[in-house]
Amino acid sequence: MPDLLDSANSSSGNRPLVVDAEPAPGQRSQAHGQPSVGLQAQSPPLLHFQHVSKWYGPVIGVNQVTLELRPGITGLVGANGAGKSTLLKLATGQLHPDIGTVRVLGQDAWSPAAKLHVGYCPDNDRFYEEMSGRKFIETMACLFGFSRAEARRRAGKCLEMVGMAGRAERRLRGYSKGMRQRIKLAQALVHDPKLLILDEPLAGIDPIGRQEFLILFQKLAAEDKCLVISSHELEQLEKLTDHVAVMARGRIAAVGTVSQIRDLLDDHPLSILIGSDRRSDLARALLSQPDVVGLDLTDGDSLIVRARNPRRFFQDFSHLVLEENIEVRHLETLDDSAHAVLGYLLGGNPNHGKK
Amino acid sequence: MQIDKPVTSSSPLPLARSPFRAWLYLVGLSCQRQARSRQMVWIALILLGLATAFIAVNTAAGRWGMDHWRSPQGYGLTYRSWWLAEWWSTRRIPGQMPSAGPDAILAAWQAALDRSGFFVFSDWIVFRTFLSFLLPIWSLSFATEAIGGEQESGNMVWLLSRPMSRPAIYLAKFVALLPWGLGLNLGGFGLLCLVGGWPGQLAFRLYWPAVLAGSLAFCSLFHLMGACFRRPAVVAIVYSFFLESVLGNMPGYMKRISIGFYTRCLMFESIEERGLSLPEKPSIFLPVDGTTAWLILAGLTILFLLVGMVVFSRVEYHEMN
Repeated sequence: MPDLLDSANSSSGNRPLVVDAEPAPGQRSQAHGQPSVGLQAQSPPLLHFQHVSKWYGPVIGVNQVTLELRPGITGLVGANGAGKSTLLKLATGQLHPDIGTVRVLGQDAWSPAAKLHVGYCPDNDRFYEEMSGRKFIETMACLFGFSRAEARRRAGKCLEMVGMAGRAERRLRGYSKGMRQRIKLAQALVHDPKLLILDEPLAGIDPIGRQEFLILFQKLAAEDKCLVISSHELEQLEKLTDHVAVMARGRIAAVGTVSQIRDLLDDHPLSILIGSDRRSDLARALLSQPDVVGLDLTDGDSLIVRARNPRRFFQDFSHLVLEENIEVRHLETLDDSAHAVLGYLLGGNPNHGKK
Repeated sequence: MQIDKPVTSSSPLPLARSPFRAWLYLVGLSCQRQARSRQMVWIALILLGLATAFIAVNTAAGRWGMDHWRSPQGYGLTYRSWWLAEWWSTRRIPGQMPSAGPDAILAAWQAALDRSGFFVFSDWIVFRTFLSFLLPIWSLSFATEAIGGEQESGNMVWLLSRPMSRPAIYLAKFVALLPWGLGLNLGGFGLLCLVGGWPGQLAFRLYWPAVLAGSLAFCSLFHLMGACFRRPAVVAIVYSFFLESVLGNMPGYMKRISIGFYTRCLMFESIEERGLSLPEKPSIFLPVDGTTAWLILAGLTILFLLVGMVVFSRVEYHEMN
């Protein structure tokens, strides 16, 4: 079945789909044949995954990931269970890779030296609930080794940045989800790290707050920081960055800009299984569609369509079955990795297209 | 949200940062957070209250000596009654001087009864109740929470994402729990002894170094369990009941796998140094000498600490749902 992964290099592990087109100014470039994302591609990578795999017992969480990240914003998208959080935890030194290495500025991510440069905003919602927001930030700064005066100064500045300066004296247990998210971001910024790992930072944030966060992220990226932002919401990430890494089944399925990934999907026809009582009529109608490159009839009442430009194909398909009054009893994409990419590129529903 | 000033320019390392200051801050923070009462701590305090009340009632009733014990057991005269009967029997003839022999026996009998309070208190309260049960329970109430509490509350991520080595975090947590663990053990033991009258006060003077040594070893062991297990309190309770309470009181050499055995050996040593006799026959208890017991307890404390540092530096902590 078609696979977005480069089958010629599959024996060397995960060789994700990487765009070789001329990058836009300041955009992604590729170095040493490895997926590389971020501005200033010639600078050494801030975060480097080298053939990294991680198992949870018999289940593989991350599968042969090789990725270099440089200053700039990189979106990390993928379905639930794709391995995003595992990848981020490997980057922040909370997990050991079973195979391969993870390095931050050349240091092993597990080491304290690497954590000097990493600010982590986790997706969990746990705090020292008895503390106020300000006290929590100051505590995180003091655990970093700053004096109390310096910790207070930094905490105040970070609270201003995330818009919590006026509400920092309340206890954390009384905060809303969005306020807690802001505090998490503030503690990640308090030591001015070069690498920011943000796991679902926009979760629970109202639309106005999201806009403020997006402005902040862009400002941080303009200061030569590397931001890795994991999110389910591709639309939000598209407003922020054009560089995304798509994860599926523990692997980096694609790295590049969203439009380039979409274009490349066109070069890899998607296989779709469709079941219908009027298979012959459906097949005749589908062959007239410009995006359909092939069609096979299977046993029973199903057929397999190979189509380019999935977004447009599904839109046309919807109109087609309505016009022809054809009942569709089954619809399934047969290419898992493309399905994962497809699901997110088509609006963030990993089950898009599945009945 | 106003962003009036640009974010500070990126610099290779944060300014004015001290790893040792961070470690000290973690010790202080952990010490403060240990004060937050949790379920096990409340249980420990309730047990302290119950034990204190029990001892106070018995002290008020003067029941620590053997005076009220009966022979034959259960229905005979009390030992005090027997002594009085013997004393009267030596004074049957008015004006006759009592003979030295029977008086010496009576005096010795009197002395034994007077001292019996200390041994009864030692046997029932110190060895059977405190050493076998309360000391392990009180130790684990704080020690298992140092690491285990952070994991259960989901706050481990905040510590592990700081630029502090994992052995340093483990050591800081251990140092922070000591004031609470030792405070509860020594303070609780002191309170029990205080309400025990003179037997209890003598017991505290003799036994507090052994309680200190045993507390350190127990805290170190349960701190290690906190790093190894997701439900360290459960594991520690099982250990306390089966190894300390059951195996620790079995005859023969089986008891030597329990920390309480070596603590009791230290207590026996302190009794002997005061010229008192042991309440249990050495041929049954098979104690080790005090120096050996000190070395073993100190060695276990350090060993558990080092093993815990190694374990904690390698284990991955996943979020508990």
